[in-house]
Order: sequence, then C-alpha cells, then structure tokens
Amino acid sequence: MNDDKEAGKAGKSSIKTLQCSNLYEYLKTLSPAVIDRLYTYPIICLAIYRDLPVVAKHYVIRILFVEQPVPQAEANEVTQVLSDLRVWHETSIPGGLPAWELNPVFKKNFKNSLLGGGRTWGIKANLETDSKARDVDYLDKYAMERWECVLHYMVGSKQQEGISVDAVRVLLHAGLMRQDDEDGSPVITKEGFQFLLLDTAEQVWYFMLQYLDTAASRNLDLVNCLAFLFQLSFSTLGKDYCADGMTEEMLTFLQHLREFGLVYQRKRKGGKFYPTRLALNITNRDSSGLAAQRKDGFVVVESNYRIYAYTDSNLQVALIGLFAELLYRFPNMVVGTLTRDSICMALRSGITADQIVNFLRLHAHPRLVAKGPPILPPTITDQINLWEKERDRFGCSDGILYSQFLSHSDFSILRDFAQEHGLLVWQNDQKKNHGRQFWWL
Amino acid sequence: MGGSKREEKAKGKRGRKKKVKEEEEEIYEDNFDVDEEEGVPGAAKKNAENAGGATVLEDEFGAKDYRKVLEMKPDHVNRPLWVAPNGHIFLESFSPVYKHAHDFLIAISEPVCRPEHIHEYKLTAYSLYAAVSVGLETDDIIEYLRRLSKTSIPDGIVEFIKLCTLSYGKVKLVLKHNKYFIESPFPEVLQKLLKDPVIQECRLRRDADMITQVETKKAAPQFGAGKPGTESAAAPAAEPVQEVVPVPDDITDFYSKLDKADEDDDEQQTSTVSFEVDQEKIEVIQKRCIELEHPLLAEYDFRNDTVNPDINVDLKPSAVLRPYQEKSLRKMFGNGRARSGVIVLPCGAGKSLVGVTACCTVRKRAIVLCNSGVSVEQWKQQFKMWSTADDSMICRFTSEAKDKPMGCGVLITTYSMITHSQKRSWEAEQTMKWLQTQEWGIMVLDEVHTIPAKMFRRVLTIVQSHCKLGLTATLLREDDKIADLNFLIGPKLYEANWLELQSKNYIAKVQCAEVWCPMTADFYREYLHCKTCRKLLLYVMNPNKFRAAQFLIKYHERRGDKTIVFSDNVFALKHYAIKMNKPYIYGPTSQSERIQILQNFKFNPKVNTIFVSKVADTSFDLPEANVLIQISSQGGSRRQEAQRLGRILRAKKGAVAEEYNAFFYTLVSQDTLEMAYSRKRQRFLVNQGYSYKVVTKLAGIENDPDIFYKSREEQALLLQQVLAASDMDADEERIPGEGNRPGGVKRTAGNIGSMSGADDAVYMEYKRNLSHIKHPLFKKFRA
Repeated sequence: MNDDKEAGKAGKSSIKTLQCSNLYEYLKTLSPAVIDRLYTYPIICLAIYRDLPVVAKHYVIRILFVEQPVPQAEANEVTQVLSDLRVWHETSIPGGLPAWELNPVFKKNFKNSLLGGGRTWGIKANLETDSKARDVDYLDKYAMERWECVLHYMVGSKQQEGISVDAVRVLLHAGLMRQDDEDGSPVITKEGFQFLLLDTAEQVWYFMLQYLDTAASRNLDLVNCLAFLFQLSFSTLGKDYCADGMTEEMLTFLQHLREFGLVYQRKRKGGKFYPTRLALNITNRDSSGLAAQRKDGFVVVESNYRIYAYTDSNLQVALIGLFAELLYRFPNMVVGTLTRDSICMALRSGITADQIVNFLRLHAHPRLVAKGPPILPPTITDQINLWEKERDRFGCSDGILYSQFLSHSDFSILRDFAQEHGLLVWQNDQKKNHGRQFWWL
Repeated sequence: MGGSKREEKAKGKRGRKKKVKEEEEEIYEDNFDVDEEEGVPGAAKKNAENAGGATVLEDEFGAKDYRKVLEMKPDHVNRPLWVAPNGHIFLESFSPVYKHAHDFLIAISEPVCRPEHIHEYKLTAYSLYAAVSVGLETDDIIEYLRRLSKTSIPDGIVEFIKLCTLSYGKVKLVLKHNKYFIESPFPEVLQKLLKDPVIQECRLRRDADMITQVETKKAAPQFGAGKPGTESAAAPAAEPVQEVVPVPDDITDFYSKLDKADEDDDEQQTSTVSFEVDQEKIEVIQKRCIELEHPLLAEYDFRNDTVNPDINVDLKPSAVLRPYQEKSLRKMFGNGRARSGVIVLPCGAGKSLVGVTACCTVRKRAIVLCNSGVSVEQWKQQFKMWSTADDSMICRFTSEAKDKPMGCGVLITTYSMITHSQKRSWEAEQTMKWLQTQEWGIMVLDEVHTIPAKMFRRVLTIVQSHCKLGLTATLLREDDKIADLNFLIGPKLYEANWLELQSKNYIAKVQCAEVWCPMTADFYREYLHCKTCRKLLLYVMNPNKFRAAQFLIKYHERRGDKTIVFSDNVFALKHYAIKMNKPYIYGPTSQSERIQILQNFKFNPKVNTIFVSKVADTSFDLPEANVLIQISSQGGSRRQEAQRLGRILRAKKGAVAEEYNAFFYTLVSQDTLEMAYSRKRQRFLVNQGYSYKVVTKLAGIENDPDIFYKSREEQALLLQQVLAASDMDADEERIPGEGNRPGGVKRTAGNIGSMSGADDAVYMEYKRNLSHIKHPLFKKFRA
C-alpha cells in the first residue's frame, strides 16, 4: 500500500500518471447495490475484513455479535472507511444519539465465513489425485510465461505468441494501449509504459480491475467474477481444484484467467485447474509479491551510468531499453548505459524519474542490495531526477499587464508604486507598459 | 560517446599505419572494422564470410547481439568474464576468481572503466604487445581467456590475439657487456631475420654461428631493503582461492600454472640464441625489424654492464614500497633485466618512489626528466628522502639551478631544458655537451603523457639511455597520440586501479562535487548575445559562481582545511584572488615567488587558500591540500580533470574516521557551455569509479553577510568590468613554451576536437594531410 501512496504522490507532479488503486479505493467506486451484493459472499466479507486497518478490524470484531446499534464515539478516518465500504451504517439509538450498526448482510456472511455454516463458499477441491500433478515451480513458471505474453504484446515484441482479442480490448479500455491513427493496430501509450514499470502483482491487480470494468460487456457479472477472484486468492498454491458445477459464465471467466496465467488448466475442458501465484497474490499484494521480486533482482547499476542486466528475457530487456541505451547483448547479460538522451526520451514518453528509479531499485541485483543502502549509486538517482527537473525550468508568477499609458509620468508613478510595495514583476521602459503582480487582500 | 569517437580516430590512425607493416596490415584492418562496421571483428568477419556473409546482428534495441555467436558454458555462474567479439571484455568484480582474472586482464588489455561491480576492458594490439613483452605467451593468453570466460570465445578474438602476439616479443635487443645483441629463445625467428639482407649488413662477425647460450636466470631483484614482507606482498596470486563458491578447477589449475611460470622466471634455465650487431646500426635494425613485424623489445642487462660505472645509491631502509608499487616494479624487472615501459599510477600514489626505486635498482647513471622547475626540486627532495643519494650525487639542470654535473649519479632536468633550441648560456652548453656524451643507465620520464611525440623524439636523439621508464597518472590524450609511446618508450607495464587504492587508503577518499551556479539574469543576457570568445569570461565571472567559491573557501577555512583554487582564466584568477585577498600563482609568477607561496601554504597556518592557474596542474606536490575548487578549466580535457584531482589525492594522515577526507569541487555556471565541458571532463574519473555529486544549492549562502556580490548593483559593476576586459583577458592562459594555439581559442560547441580539449597546443601534432601521411614514427624509419 505504501507503493500506492508513492505512486499517488508521483502522480501529482506529472499530468498523467497511472493510478493504481488498492482494494479499498476500488470498492469505493462501486455502487452501494453492488457492494451489498458482494457481501452476500462470505469469502468477500473475509477478504475485505483482512484488508481493513487494524483499528477497524477491532471495531468490526467487537460489535459483530452485538445485536443492537452501538453509540458513536468520535468519528475518524477509520470509521469513515467502514462507512465507505458500507460495512456499517449510521443509525440512531433511542434517545437520538447517533450510533453504528453493522450491515446485516455483511454481518451474517462474515459470521458464516468465520464460524462456518451456510453453503460452502470455497471452490471445490479436487478429490481424486491428479495423475499429472503440477508442482509449484512449474506453476510459477507457467504463470510468468503467460503474464509476460501480455506484457510482450504491449511492448510489441514479435517473438511471443499473441494474445486474445479480449485481452487486447482490456488493454485498449484501460488506456494502456491505443489504436494507432494510421492502421488501427494497437500501440502502447504513456500509461502503458508506466504500467510496465510496476511490479507484477500491481500489474495483475490493475489489469484485473480494468478487466472487471469491462465485465458487463462480455456478459459476465461483476460480483460473481470478483467473488471467484477472491475465492482463488484463498486457495492453496500447488493444489488442484475442481471446475465441475461452475456456471457457464464462470467457466468463461476461468478461461480468461487461464489466458493471463492466473490459473493453470491442462485442457480447456479438463474440469481441473490450479490457481497460480498471480491469483493468490491478488488481494495481498504487498508482502509476498515483493518478496518474490526481491529474489530475482538482476540489474547492476554502476556509478558511471552503466547498466548491466543479468537477463535473457526479452521483456526485461525491452523494459530497460525504455530508458537506457543498449550496447551489447550476451546470452545471459545485457550492457546498457544511461544517457541524458535516453532518459529524456523516457521522460517524454510519460515515464517519471521516480518510476525509473523505483524500477531499478526494485530489480537491483543482490550485490547492490548487499552493498546498500543506498542500493543505487546516489549520483545516478540524483542525476535522473535532475534530468527530469531540467524539463521544468520555467517558473510562473501571476501578474497583470498594464499597458498603453498616456504619458511617461503615469507609467513611472505606477511603476514606482509597484516597486515600493515589491509587486513589480517586469517592466519595459520603451514600450511604456509594465506588468504588476496582482494584489489580493 | 566521445570515447568511441576517439577510438574511431585511433582506428583510423592504425588503419593508416598498415602501409608500414605489411602483415600487420591485417591486424589494423581488422581493428578498423571493429569500430567502423558495427563491431564485426576482423577474424569474425572472415568466419562470417566463410559462412555466407552474415554480419553481427543488431537486436531491436540497437544493441550488438552476440547471443547467436556466443555459447554459454554450463557452469558460467562461476566464471567471471564475457568476451565480446569486438574485443571488449566485461569482468564481474564480485567473482571469487576476480583477483586472478583482474591480474590477467590488466596484463593483456586496456581498462576502459572500472567502477564498483563490473569492469570493462578492451583488447587492443598495443595491450597484447605489452602482454607479450612481459612474458605471456599466445597460447597461454588464449587458453586462460577461454577458461575464465562464461561463454565460448569468439573465433575472431582468438585470431586477433594470435595475429597480435605471435610475431611480437620474440626478439629482444639486449645490451650486454656494452655490445648489442639480438636475442631470441626461438632460433627459427633469428634465422628468418638473418636471411634479411639489411640485417645481415648490420651483423658483426658475419661468418660466425649464432651464439647459443644456456643461461640461468637470476632471481628478480629485491626492492627496498629486502624485507621478508615484500615477497609475500608481491606474490598475491599464490593465495588459496578455494572459497565457499566452487571455482571451476581448470581456472585455479591454470592459474597456478601461470603463476608457477612466473616464479620459474627466477631460476629457470632458458636457452637463447643471439647474434651481435653493430652499435652504429641499431636504428636501422629497429626499423627493419618493425618492417619484418618482429619489433625489438629493448632490455637492459644492467648487471652485466661493466662499462658504465655503478653509482652508489640505495634505498634507505625506511623506504617501504606498497604492494602495487612493488608489483609495478616487478613487471619492469621481471626477468632480472630492465624493460622499458610506462607505469601508470594515480597522482599521489607514490610515482616518485617507483622512479627512485627503479634508479636504485639499476644503479647506473640516471636521468630524470620532468616538466617544470618546481618538480625538479621536488624530485630532488624525493631522491634525498628515499635513497642514500646526497646533494653531491644529485645534479639539477634547469634555467635557474645548475649544479655541477661532472661526477654526479642522478641528473634531474626538464624536457624544455633538453630540447631547448636557442642559444644557451656557456655553462648550460657545457652541461649539454657532457650530457650528450654520457651513456645513461636509466631515463625516468615524469608525466610522460604531456610530451608530444615530436619533442620526445628529440629528447631521445640527444640523450642515450639503456632503458626508459615513463611515469604518469593518466595515459590519456585527447588526440590519442598516446599510442606512439608504445613504440617510443615501451608498452604499458602496469596500471593501478584507483578505486582499489582508495579503498585500501593509499590515496585519499575524495568527494567530488559539481556545484551548479545559476547565471544571474544580467550575465546570462550578455552571455546569449556576445561573441563566443567572450562567453568564457562571462560564465567564469558569473557572480553566483564567485559567491559559491567564496562560500566554499570560507567553509573549509573554518574547518581548517587547505584549499587550492584552480582557474585557467587569468583574468578570473586575479580578480577572485585579489577580491578575496589570497595569494596567487600563474605563468608570469617568478620561480622564487612560487616557492615562497608554496612554502607559506605548507607551513603558515594563516595561509590556507591559494589560487593557481594551470601551471600547477601537474607536479606541484602539495601534500597538505585536501580541498580543491575549480572555477575555470580548459575545455573538456579529461586529463586535466584527473591531474587536478591528483593534487589532493595524497593520502591524508589521521583522517580515516571520516567518510571522505578530501573534497573536489567544480563550479559550473548553469545553462552555459561549461555544463557540457564539465560532463566531458568527468568521463575519465567516472570510468575509474568516481562519482560526482551535483550540488544545486549551497545551504546558508544567502544568509552570509560577508559574501560579495550579493546586491544587484555590485553584480552590475562586475559585469561592467567583465565587459571592459580585453579579448586577451578572455583567453585562457598561455604558458610560454607551449607555442601558439592553432586558430581561435574559444571555439563553438560544434567542434568535437575542441570540446575534448584536443586543440590545446601541448598535445598538438602538426597534422597536415592526415589522410595519406605515413605514421610519423615509421616514416622516419623508412625515409
């Protein structure tokens, strides 16, 4: 969540930055009716509960079994969160005092999720053992492969197999790609570049949100899909689950997830599937996601602006190629150099200096991490920031232009007045007009 | 980017050289291709031709794609190198076998950049020549490279190494018992040479057979007082390498083999064949051998030289050599004889001690050449400090101090003294005559990068010496004439890694900072409208720069630091110094005044800051100084930057506690030409692993009431002065004796040459008709 905040901060400095909202922010955008429907799923109640701030969790658990409204104490951010999520709503107790009362639907289903009861809410585990079981490593590899297909498609590299029309539609919808003016083929946008620099878990989350936005258009029910996603996130990695008894709608959804690598299914009609790490990380993006990234840092940044990337992945190379000039490619390593031109090119395409630095830091080679902090040579990060600042050298100050004075004395009286009060911004004797800062009381 | 330009130039020159050496032609041709044709190395190109004309691929990002050419080894994780088909080598500094690989690469290739984690080297014909001359053999080079590499070695590289090494280093010119011999361990090579009519001419006793001799090589000389400690320091390779990380056996095996070969040098029985040649015709032979692509390596068997008297100097017991000094000297005296060559050590890392030790090892008459009167004095002091030589043995020969030369052991003089072509005083005339008749044992050339080849050749025709040792901190010249040194003096014997010396506290830890001073509006307006030659003065005299300089000086004086302020522009130098009331030294300052100011700076606690012009760039030894502020500099010269940094590199005593114990500030006026220059200048140091911190704001500068030029009126006054200054003032300082610069001095940014500082007269060769002229060195031989 910290990352989100940082990204939000960076967002303010530039005009268009990718907004990757967290679960709470996302839910806030949904209509109350949808939220209420979501709460009919115990699994979602549990997932939302997990995502609450600690204090809010206390509130909820303390009043979960209280069958009447509780008087309101002070209102603060936490209570606001709970109201926003419609976990509770305001009411009044006899005597007219304001009070909180848990959303009855939420209450019922949350109890169910904690205590059991009701109909089963998880996805069904497969009872027979799979003759061709897949281990975790295989699943991780598969998931990354599938996911990188999408990313590859975005950077337009030719080596990989394409992605489905549906996925392309999501990318277009999300504004990560746009139709080219000439031939209508999708090309990557500024937001797309920023998207590529996010870490994988954030990418998946962002992508899925965009996907869900378009759910209605493909006759999928948003609530069902969300519920299924959350079910997936509570499943166990390396275990196979049974797709029998799922509705047609959900099976379509499952196929989509399969394409992006969130689940693995050997055969389309196999009836069995394995959730992958991508799906598991979808609700808890902060902890395990990052840890997984740390492990395979591969970029060495030197104080002489050289970048050495231990990678054979075209995608990683393409990403580095976004802001560095590549010199050599060895079978397992790429040599590049950061130049003013290459960075400025990246900045022009809408990537911010912070994003570049974050990317480098996130993927820093274990050597750099061991040496650090700071992980990256400070001169490099400074310089990248300075290059960004270079693009923003003009300062503006408000002013009013007074012109067409009748005589020079009028001009000088006004000018002297402005000067005395320190309001003069600019003056020009020859043209007899001068600007004066506007004065607000 | 400038680097590649330079390389191209180099290639261009080598390309030209092909007319001289028939078979060498191929090498140069190859090399030419490396850069001109997007990294198709010569031999790889040949391969490609066989295979059907494929060229090196470029991937979609414009990088050279070697993935198809190179094959990963299964245990690549444990091997430290990548070798690119265009001769660039990348080395992981964190590899367990780093030490071996590093020693090896330093011997066979040129370091390109050596920051913290991954180093880049480049194989060149010269570096391979150097490798051969210190005793590495073709097969060993290839084999070891193969073993260290993560991938297969491109065939082109193998071929390149063979081409460059097979013919080099096979034949030596040895002076023994005052007779010149051509010597080689390979009889067939000598046979080949002897078939050449020109060489036959030069041979003495034409009817005799070749002298075959089995000699037991003596142990390499011990340096210093033969302390037991030195031996272990000198053989760092012998350390056990088996660490937690498994090292492929073949690497360690092979390394120990190479290592043994090295040690074997000490008592190995080698059989060599030789024939005696006529002393008169040495030059003819040298020229002919280059034509036959067997360049002669000059070695001096000083122990068997009975004709020249020994001089009685030794190192004092107190002189302790540091491991890298010892290592560099071992390269020079590796086989019990003295090789000629260049040793590259950072400023302040003790080059003088290396020079003194070399002289004491040879123990024959020694001549030391340096480039200013002040450094002559400093060399004398160095000799007195480290060796047993006293005043009677050391003779200075400068325009101001002429000691009696007769009977002295060590003569210290300047390049310009020797090459002076106008009339001399009678006394100097006598000394010169004496000097010319002497046979010198060793010639030490200080700051060898500064002398143009032309001047150097003149020195060589005047002074006869058996072996030559070049010392420098930066084997860099913007015009790339540095390659000549390989044949004029000898190969580069050793080059130290700055960062390593720094981490071991042999040199100071320097914080480099670039302070950005915004131009004031008035100055910038003038800057945009004035002539180019005036711009320099405007950005140097930028009031904000003055204020920054004053602020930094005050700050460091309060800390008790000793500060040197550099300005190439004399107008600025005087203005700054006079305004701040500090002493200054520039070209016209007399020798005695200079020494007085320097003495005051050293010992007077009240004089903590001095202003100097570029006369102090090299050889002003100021061990006390630990802060350097640069307010104006000579274009984009990387060498000057490195030399200036060197002024404060000498390790500081008792300052280990701090992270940095020296400070190097460059003040640049924002949005002016200076920014571009500054970036160019920093390239060399950045490649050595230094990093520049950009300072955009000095905290507290606004509130300090004592700093000048705060008000707009004062600034306007300054602008008036600047505009009133004559064009002469706007120029950079000219040092007498440097000659005239070609063309105008401040050039537009469009000229690459001037951006890189290449047009400074010091480095200028007179290049006319560059496209078809022969390489001057070989032209001379062929004429």
